[in-house]
Amino acid sequence: MVGLSTGEKHFIHGGIAQDLRSDGRKRLHFRPISVETGVIPQANGSARVRLGATDVIVSIKAELGKPNSFQPDKGKVAIFIDCSPTAAPEFEGRGGEELSSELSVALERCFLGGKTGTGAGIDLSSLIVVEGKVCWDLYIDGLVISSDGNLLDALAAAIKVALSNTGIPKVNVDLGASPDDQPEVDVSDEEFLQFDTSGVPVVVTLTKVGRHYIVDATLEEESQMSSAVSVSVNRHGHICGLTKRGGAGLDPSVILDMISVAKHVSQNLISVLDSEIAAAEANADE
Amino acid sequence: MEYVNPLTGFRLDGRRPNEMRQIRGEIGVVAKADGSALFEMGNTKVIAAVYGPREVRNKGQQINNQALVRCEYGMANFSTGDRRRKPKGDRRSTEISLVIRQTMEACILTHLMPHSQIDIFVQVLQADGGTRSACINAATLALADAGIPMRDIVTSCSAGYLCSTPLLDLNYVEDSAGGPDVTVGILAKMDKVTLLQVLLEHTKQLECHRGA
Repeated sequence: MVGLSTGEKHFIHGGIAQDLRSDGRKRLHFRPISVETGVIPQANGSARVRLGATDVIVSIKAELGKPNSFQPDKGKVAIFIDCSPTAAPEFEGRGGEELSSELSVALERCFLGGKTGTGAGIDLSSLIVVEGKVCWDLYIDGLVISSDGNLLDALAAAIKVALSNTGIPKVNVDLGASPDDQPEVDVSDEEFLQFDTSGVPVVVTLTKVGRHYIVDATLEEESQMSSAVSVSVNRHGHICGLTKRGGAGLDPSVILDMISVAKHVSQNLISVLDSEIAAAEANADE
Repeated sequence: MEYVNPLTGFRLDGRRPNEMRQIRGEIGVVAKADGSALFEMGNTKVIAAVYGPREVRNKGQQINNQALVRCEYGMANFSTGDRRRKPKGDRRSTEISLVIRQTMEACILTHLMPHSQIDIFVQVLQADGGTRSACINAATLALADAGIPMRDIVTSCSAGYLCSTPLLDLNYVEDSAGGPDVTVGILAKMDKVTLLQVLLEHTKQLECHRGA
């Protein structure tokens, strides 16, 4: 990224303080979101989300596998993000690995809850086929094509849209003679079950620049931040995850304030995403 | 398997043997890059982004009288039917990166930009045969979008030979059939071949025919 001059930095700080950012937005406004579903035909579900110049694609593939012995009644989900060097030359070779791992882990924390599977935004028990023997493994793969800040929010939105587009094939199970037998599973090509996404959260990242917080920061604004808090909120206004990484220390009252701001902003984001999903589905049906 | 129907002469996807798949290109898809392009050949979808000419990152690699051209080819996890574990760094990706770099280096007027670096990044979003060709076509468009001076436009396509018929622009099924396949890159107006790779598998004898 090209460095910013002192004048440009003052401009960004001053604009945010006066609730008028460089692209004309208010502090708590998102950039226009554009959503496309079904962009990867061979995947079970896919979505492409554009948030200004940030462009991400998420694809979801379901494969049959064996459930974890600790959780025999739940399926498995793995999230893997890849930062393509087309987004920034620094991501060439292994340069993007650190950011990719950070995003993958943050998203896994937001969507999948703790180690025991409690508090997961995705209902893992809906992925079970035969308890203890056969379950669906969902592989959620994200690719960052173009980056202009706020990757976490864009990826989380794309995962939510892709999940709403995902069809898990219906399975006919033949249990076999004895309980120790591996059951025969017949995966249907015709019928699909739509994934239930009512509990899936969105992520809102609040970036603190100076004394104010902004939502949906661009790359330039992110370079000026002192710290950032990412809050994952679901439809009911419940907090599903919270991350504050590095940067300047924040007073606890500031964090509580940021959480309530994030809750408020997320309801708007959820309704925008829902209407975009509905529009995309209507387009797909035509 | 009948790759070419003996009665109608149509291929598996309904094309004639000398017919290409539908192509589509779009420029400027990555706003942050100096030049970028999306190129589709049938179901194969590829994005190329060009960053440069800019200062050389690794001074040891700097060339004093011409620009340094670097290229990286990556395939997305979801690009193939079976999910890939390693998006880049495997041997095939390294080889294709090298091929694209050499092809584009031949057509860029590198002597006009000494001490600088041009990065070409190609990302495959969907692979359905002919990824090498789609990448070269996308890279050409991206370089043009970046305003980098070139001798000529490089265009590329693949071809094969199945069921005693030469076939143009193989898709994945035809490519994995085991017949020979050739990828050609040509400087369009100058009419010079800049890339030629032939892969011969399981063929006992290959006669040379001059195509029409």
